[in-house]
Amino acid sequence: MQPNRLKQGGRIDRSRALSFRFNGKSYEGYTGDTLASALLANGVSLVSRSFKLHRPRGIVGAGAEEPNAILQIGRGASTLPTQRATQVELYDGLEARSTKGWPSLRFDIAAFNDLVSPLLAAGFYYKTFMRPQALWPWYERFIRAAAGFGLAPREPDPDRYEHRNAHCDVLIAGAGPAGLIAALVAARSGARVIIADEQNEFGGSLLSASQTIDAEPATAWIEATTAELDALDNVTMLTRSTVFGYYDHNFVAIVERCTDHIGEDVAGVRQRLWRVRAKQVVLAQGAFERPLVFCNNDRPGVMLASAVSCYIHRYAVCPGKRAVVFTNNDSAYRTAIDLRAAGASVVIIDSRAEGAGALADAARADGITMLPGHIVTDVSGRRHVSGVRVAQWNGDVTSTVQNTINIDCDLVAVSGGWSPAVHLHSQSGGKNAWSDDLHCFVPAEYAQANVSAGAGNGKWSLQDCLQDGLDAGIEVIARCGIEAADVTLPLAVEVASRPLEPLWRVPAATDPDRCPKQFVDFQIDTSVADIRLAVREGYRNVEHVKRYTALGFGTDQGKLGNINGMAILAECLGEDIASVGTTAFRPAYTPVTFGVGAAENVGDLFEPVRKTAIHASHEAAGAPFEVVGQWHRPWYFPQGDEDLHTSVARECLATRKSVGMMDASTLGKIDARGPDVVEFLRRIYTHDVGKMKVGRCAYGIMLGEDGMVMDDGVIARVAERQFYLTTTTGGAAPVLAWLERWLQTEWPELEVYLTSLTEHYATIVVAGPNSRRVLQDIGCNIDLERDSFAFMSVRDAELAGIAVTLFRVSFSGELAFEINIDSRNALKMWQLVADAGAKFDITPYGTETMHVLRAEKGFVIVGQDTDGSVTPVDLRLQWLLSKDKDFLGKRSLSRTDCVRSDRKQLVGLLSEDGKTVLPEGTQLVDDPGAAIPVPMCGHVTSSYYSACLGRPIAMALVATGHSRRDEIIFASLADGSAVPVRIVSPVFYDPEGERQND
Amino acid sequence: MTESTVQVCVLDDVGHINLRGDRHSVDFITAVESVIGQSLPVAANTMSEKEHRVFWIGPDEWLITTVADNTLGLLADLDKKLASHHAAVNDVSGGNIELRLSGKNVRDVLAKGCTLDFHEIVFGPGTCAQSGLAKAAVLFGFVEAPHTFDIIVRRSFSDYLLRWLANAGCEYGIEFR
Repeated sequence: MQPNRLKQGGRIDRSRALSFRFNGKSYEGYTGDTLASALLANGVSLVSRSFKLHRPRGIVGAGAEEPNAILQIGRGASTLPTQRATQVELYDGLEARSTKGWPSLRFDIAAFNDLVSPLLAAGFYYKTFMRPQALWPWYERFIRAAAGFGLAPREPDPDRYEHRNAHCDVLIAGAGPAGLIAALVAARSGARVIIADEQNEFGGSLLSASQTIDAEPATAWIEATTAELDALDNVTMLTRSTVFGYYDHNFVAIVERCTDHIGEDVAGVRQRLWRVRAKQVVLAQGAFERPLVFCNNDRPGVMLASAVSCYIHRYAVCPGKRAVVFTNNDSAYRTAIDLRAAGASVVIIDSRAEGAGALADAARADGITMLPGHIVTDVSGRRHVSGVRVAQWNGDVTSTVQNTINIDCDLVAVSGGWSPAVHLHSQSGGKNAWSDDLHCFVPAEYAQANVSAGAGNGKWSLQDCLQDGLDAGIEVIARCGIEAADVTLPLAVEVASRPLEPLWRVPAATDPDRCPKQFVDFQIDTSVADIRLAVREGYRNVEHVKRYTALGFGTDQGKLGNINGMAILAECLGEDIASVGTTAFRPAYTPVTFGVGAAENVGDLFEPVRKTAIHASHEAAGAPFEVVGQWHRPWYFPQGDEDLHTSVARECLATRKSVGMMDASTLGKIDARGPDVVEFLRRIYTHDVGKMKVGRCAYGIMLGEDGMVMDDGVIARVAERQFYLTTTTGGAAPVLAWLERWLQTEWPELEVYLTSLTEHYATIVVAGPNSRRVLQDIGCNIDLERDSFAFMSVRDAELAGIAVTLFRVSFSGELAFEINIDSRNALKMWQLVADAGAKFDITPYGTETMHVLRAEKGFVIVGQDTDGSVTPVDLRLQWLLSKDKDFLGKRSLSRTDCVRSDRKQLVGLLSEDGKTVLPEGTQLVDDPGAAIPVPMCGHVTSSYYSACLGRPIAMALVATGHSRRDEIIFASLADGSAVPVRIVSPVFYDPEGERQND
Repeated sequence: MTESTVQVCVLDDVGHINLRGDRHSVDFITAVESVIGQSLPVAANTMSEKEHRVFWIGPDEWLITTVADNTLGLLADLDKKLASHHAAVNDVSGGNIELRLSGKNVRDVLAKGCTLDFHEIVFGPGTCAQSGLAKAAVLFGFVEAPHTFDIIVRRSFSDYLLRWLANAGCEYGIEFR
């Protein structure tokens, strides 16, 4: 039983009934309904409570402008908050509920707010919750609970969303008459066209009217036009797609709701974010009807006239039986005629003095009562309108009026004129100008390659919209350099209409600050009195008044209320509307889900995982991975149920005693060559690269221009004019960019080419006293003995017949070889090394053991033991600073700050108790008993338990540390205790370096 | 089961050579072209195709792709021919993974993760470009009409990219060969 459903008409499918629930109660609607039209069909008029005052509210509009019917749709994880019932298509099983009203929508305790509303005027929030400041957290709890329009689901989002990039010559926002004909021109001309409309079908306002085009119903023209567009390959047609953001360089964002109209738990993409780069944009989004501002104008049953027509024509729903139409312009006369045709009794109350003109004649002919020169001043009825109070209109808004007539009714259709939807134009950076003829803001200055058309451009009649759309289409096509195809302007029959007479607010029987609430912005509960109060309290700028009264702050961005609000502000200030101006519109035009913003970039695909060529083997070995940048590096290789510490202790001992192997493939590798490569690298690295012999390696550091250590690595001179540079894992890309920057912008005269080989070569480290024997056992074609392949040498070789480059370098302090091998052969080589090493119990080790082994040797890790404020001198690396040449950062090393005596310097630390492993980052103090705040003298940068030494070791940066050898300082732990630690050399193991030279 | 309209093939019989040199030097270009037997593309985002594919990847940088077995020979020939030039020839075969995407919805899949315009009038024969696909840096080459593209990605990102493709292409029944 749908009491307000008409027997025939509408674009609904009566053969397909759908059941849905609203606030727990079941109703029926039809395919083609929106939730709003189905609720109205069922006579549901109370749909929510207002934001601040908890007043009962009903459906006002029929589209994006809806301020009241903001509902929670769906269940569980896929529920959507803040949905306008007017834009939610009905599906079977839809569940909707109001998010305001407790214990129920009908009996809302917080409606008390309305009774005390004089206390809750604009600025109440700022004035009340400011003091005492300490109470803010307490206030906040209640304010947060009271605010908001919906609930976000707590469960992970089960739905699929995606992004899609698109390019076109012409993007058309809005597929009403203007948009469609613009699209037709562009499409026929062969341009790449995207046309998007937020509704479920194209046609815009034509779907809600009974107009004719070329003597046929307008729907026939829509069908023919969309069919022609559909048949063209160069056109992308997007329904249920809101153009919500217009950004720089004609970058436009559209959200397409793919399955929301079908239901929940639907397979496929739920919503798609289109990121469009358009050469030209046509904005044809139409216009919004303005409400009229009178006492209690927010009562359920007071609706926009255009919305009433829409419900009648499109959904075959007549929202009332005894209607009052209150207007200051002719467009609502059509609604009166529509209502009459739907069987309602109708009274037209027109603020204009004369009820003349063709539409008035037509209304009169239909038996509609007309009261020209009258105004509706107040509404009776609380949960639904039951009547209106009417007064004669003397044209003086500052006067008070005498109500002379009461009219019983169950529907008040209002029209205060129209405002173009200039939101996207405004977002694009365009300016709007006030039109004294049209009494609205219209697009004026364009900032980007776009043009507005149709009602969105202040063209009210259908014929003007078609003409404007056609012109816009031809214009943008010409701008694209495409010749426009022929499109004949269709003819719409127009009834002459009389001009609107502005009526920004309606006077009441008492003065506007004491009369019942006259709402300007329904969603945020801003009234005329609030705006007047703001002005009395000294606010003059429209942006300030917006913030003080919250006018336009709702999720609807004031689509209904803003213009009335500006006009009322202008009246209070004694200025004209043009000089008051508008506030800025920002994306999103209507709310957009977080889901579609994130799209596929969640879970597994949130961040790329970079894997080395040997990754599969590590995974099979059960190694946990450490995340290093985007790389996943094996952290340690547990055996059985070993934990990190047991495993690392075993790996360290095995490497020191026999042999270990690790995957060091993530290190950055750069081929540098050219006639000037030596000169170039001399400027980059601190040591003198020119002194290196071919076939030799050196440890090198590079400094930033500030003299701070930036990166380090091994440099190998592989030929007279060719070097092989390695960088830290994290430094691979930045160092290459750094080098290219110097080559390309500062030293273009140097002939050097760089090529990244980071990914081409995998690196397998074989370290430990038995490493040489492992390589020999694999089968090596060169002599690996000390005399012919000394420490810090590089050699091309073959292992088991596979080409490799061997480096005799060591980051562990042991005899070690680094095998650089084509990544395609890496997994095989890893296995060959493991097999050959089996008899020496070769032990794979991960990043943790690598860290311990190098710390035992006092080797720094750039980025761990340094932090961008550490010079080579601080690290005791002055031996690396060539005195014979200049290099980047050298001059900075003599800055006052770099030579001050109390710099933090790298030292080793040993816990005096021989067992406390200091947490990395621990602050160091000279005197733990000192008065708070205790002066700090340094911090721990690296700290491990060394199985090899049988005690914890640490590295630290300590003020004047180099000269404090053997002093005791204190590590300040999180539990408040202080552990005495001794400052020692950071080289804990094999200080003579005999093992690596072996 | 959706009919597969996107197929992905990981090319394993392919070698990659990175070449750097001076595009303003006629000698250099002549030397290279005499070895590769085809033109060295000097216009941005173009490629030449004959026995090998040569991608322009920078004002002084090219990527030559060829049959795997030819790589070392070609590398040696280039090295020899360019010995007297300032040039850099490097084997980077191990560092790249080359994917071949075909099927009528390839452009739709690419549009999900890349901001470039893949329309055939913009990205047609002889076109290549470097950009991001999802969160990986890649080189796209249009290798065969109507819609066969090669994507060259750094090895370490290939696993991520394949997973991304599997997700993005599922509506087109994407198949991996």
